[in-house]
Amino acid sequence: MDTSPSAQFRAGGREGFFAFLPLSVGLIPWAMVTGMAMVSVGFSPLQAMGMNIIVFAGTAQLGTLPLIASGAPLWLIVATALALNLRFVIFSAAIAQGFRGMGSGVRWLSGHLLTDGVFATCVAKMMETEDRHWRLGYYLVPSIWTWLLWQCFALIGVLAAGSIPKNWSLEFMATIALMLLLLPMAKMRPMLVAAAAGGAAAVMLKGMPLKLGLIAAIFIGIGAGFAAEHWQARGKEGDKA
Amino acid sequence: MSQETGYDASLWLIFILVGLATTLPRASFIVLGSRILLPSVLQRALRYAPAAALAGIVVPDILLVNGDLSPFNPKLAAAIATVAAAMLSRNPWLPFIAGMGTLLTLRMGLGWQ
Repeated sequence: MDTSPSAQFRAGGREGFFAFLPLSVGLIPWAMVTGMAMVSVGFSPLQAMGMNIIVFAGTAQLGTLPLIASGAPLWLIVATALALNLRFVIFSAAIAQGFRGMGSGVRWLSGHLLTDGVFATCVAKMMETEDRHWRLGYYLVPSIWTWLLWQCFALIGVLAAGSIPKNWSLEFMATIALMLLLLPMAKMRPMLVAAAAGGAAAVMLKGMPLKLGLIAAIFIGIGAGFAAEHWQARGKEGDKA
Repeated sequence: MSQETGYDASLWLIFILVGLATTLPRASFIVLGSRILLPSVLQRALRYAPAAALAGIVVPDILLVNGDLSPFNPKLAAAIATVAAAMLSRNPWLPFIAGMGTLLTLRMGLGWQ
């Protein structure tokens, strides 16, 4: 077997690519919807693809669009994007060991390309495998494939949205997409409580200036989820007794 | 930004800052390695932030009409159709078709705004 660095990179890349391929089909509707949603708030194709390349994160893009469209203050837009991306701090910590022995340039690139799907597919073998070239190929090839799919199908969405009449309420596609991201989270009870509290608070605090209600709602949601986790743990102890 | 289209150059500043708010959390530990450990209370709290933020954006979107609470509106019906489609099928397109189909039927077919 060829054990040169580039052969190891290619072997890892091939394995990573085929492990991730079935999952990558699910990216297509997301990319198209994100492309359409960006056009629906009035971005030009250049602005839409600019955002798609600079941000490269469906949730953060879809989540900040309504705020950008309504002229919300910059800090609120950035704080919301941060809140939507916080889960990646945890993913990043979990997969960090997989980049042992690698330089900081490759680490920045890998961090920028980190997505839920590649994380879920690659994290286990990134930990086990010794050869760092194999590991890098195994991570980077499906990541770059994700990037390419994301850009291509977002572009298709951007171009398609231009030929759809305005009264078709395309902006609601973003709302649907955000609901679909929320649904699997809400299967866990404390997460459902966090979402319910955050949603209710956002409606009740809608009158707050500068849309501060959203930030308050995020904190209220986090607090409610935390509290629910405690009660659930105590309830389980009660059942055993 | 009062008119519906036409953003000024500050839009690109928004993109760059949202991009940083995306890349920095993702790159954080991959770049830092295991030099820093996140306190476990903070880790648990962070888990709830995305759900709270998503609901904070989506729920007012569905329940408010022109800034006023108005739960009986076509967007709520469309949201219910979306959730039903997502729970009953694994097809990734179906929730979009069900949600948009319901919204457009009610708004354009029945004239319900």
